[in-house]
Amino acid sequence: MNSSSEAPFTNLTDCAEVQVPSQVFLAIAVASLSENLLVILAVIKNKNLHSPMYCFICNLAVFNTISSFSKALEDILLLFTDAGHLNSRGPFELKIDDIMDSLICMSFLGSIFSILAIAVDRYISIFHALRYHMLMTMRRVMVILSAIWVLCGTSGALMISFFVATTVKIFFVVLFFTALFLILLLYVHMFLLARHHANRIASMPGAQARHRQSGLRGALTLTILIGVFVACWAPFLFHLLIMMICPENPYCECYRSLFQLHVVLLVSHAVIDPAIYAFRSTELRNTYKKMFLCSASRICKQCV
Amino acid sequence: MPRFQFLNSTSMPNHNYEWSYEYYDDEEPVSFEGLKAHRYSIVIGFWVGLAVFVIFMFFVLTLLTKTGAPHPEPAEPYEKRMRLTSCAEGLGRQREAETRTGLSRPLLEESRSLFHCYINEEERDGGRVTSDAGRTGSGHSRGQVEAVGLVVQSMGMETRAEREAALLAHFNIPNFVNSELSSALGDEDLLLGDPPIIMEEARPRCTHHIID
Repeated sequence: MNSSSEAPFTNLTDCAEVQVPSQVFLAIAVASLSENLLVILAVIKNKNLHSPMYCFICNLAVFNTISSFSKALEDILLLFTDAGHLNSRGPFELKIDDIMDSLICMSFLGSIFSILAIAVDRYISIFHALRYHMLMTMRRVMVILSAIWVLCGTSGALMISFFVATTVKIFFVVLFFTALFLILLLYVHMFLLARHHANRIASMPGAQARHRQSGLRGALTLTILIGVFVACWAPFLFHLLIMMICPENPYCECYRSLFQLHVVLLVSHAVIDPAIYAFRSTELRNTYKKMFLCSASRICKQCV
Repeated sequence: MPRFQFLNSTSMPNHNYEWSYEYYDDEEPVSFEGLKAHRYSIVIGFWVGLAVFVIFMFFVLTLLTKTGAPHPEPAEPYEKRMRLTSCAEGLGRQREAETRTGLSRPLLEESRSLFHCYINEEERDGGRVTSDAGRTGSGHSRGQVEAVGLVVQSMGMETRAEREAALLAHFNIPNFVNSELSSALGDEDLLLGDPPIIMEEARPRCTHHIID
């Protein structure tokens, strides 16, 4: 954004838009791409990970991969445009821009739905443990996943086509807050049950220290889970709200000038997600060890 | 923002039309004069609010771990205590005295002391409480069931789920979902201390197995 055209309106208290260099975006996108591709590879390779829980985690990784891939592509095209090879207002470029925006939008919606699906799956596995394998058959999981994909695909396309309308932004904000509320509800209920049981088990002699420590760790895990989700998504959503509510207020203008920082946060959510969901599982970590040890031993054998 | 100007001189030779795209994104007259508060006050307020929310949530969760899930105190536990053995009666009388003086013992401490009481009783009965790997006989388990049942009744736990939870705390019922949960949620405790399962549907099966 060029502020020199607004010379009569600018003074020393102007909030110039904070520009984030595209190298940062590219680095985050590459890191997210590699992490999520590793997760997808591990889930596909290991037969033990072909369960509903890991299907949902893999689905989240797929959506994160798509979002980081399309963001990286958009950055590369922006670099080309800045270098002058592409016309920023040509019809072809605008179409490509629309397609990438709708892919990004679809993957953002998809990751919210995937996180919600993971929370519901964990909830069912805890509160309906015996019926879990009857409720969550692989067929139902596939149906749920395809429903998520269809919904996100159409919503992404529609939202980008009609982005100017405020209903789209309101829909996005409402969706986020509903998802956040549901996730909070599910996880806190699971946490309460876990504490309830842990307290009873701790009432038996000799389990005192372990009880306190495990309780704190559970609280920390839950806080990290929800805190990261909120910290990465809320600034962007608040930006959308501010765009609708106060487009001309100078304070709001200063908040909106940090747009690129908020997008960085949004994209870094795709980097943090595997660490919170996928890499926590020992089975997945063992798969990596096997993969890397096998390839390392093969390389060693070839060298010797 | 670039402005494109097209001179359309073919259709109407006498008039020169000037076509231009007007981009209104950054041409709003937002004046920054006379701001009372700091210009980034909304930004600061937003992040402070977010941090307060996260820290508040963390403190609420840690408070829950310290005090345990809130339980309503049983309304009339006195008559139920008549069924308990001597040491438990002593504890009950102690509790009565304390409530009369205005002190209230947390339920957890009370249950712990009752468990201690029962375990001591069992030990005095001749070592039936010591774990016997080869003997999963009903005698041992029945004694424990009775103890747990009485304790559960005395603590006023009326709901079926809580009774089962207390029963489960004493029995290692092999559960295939356990291993899946622990692998799904990680070895270090994520959300659950020990993956506890409420088995609503297993109740008829389990109790038949235990009681028979």
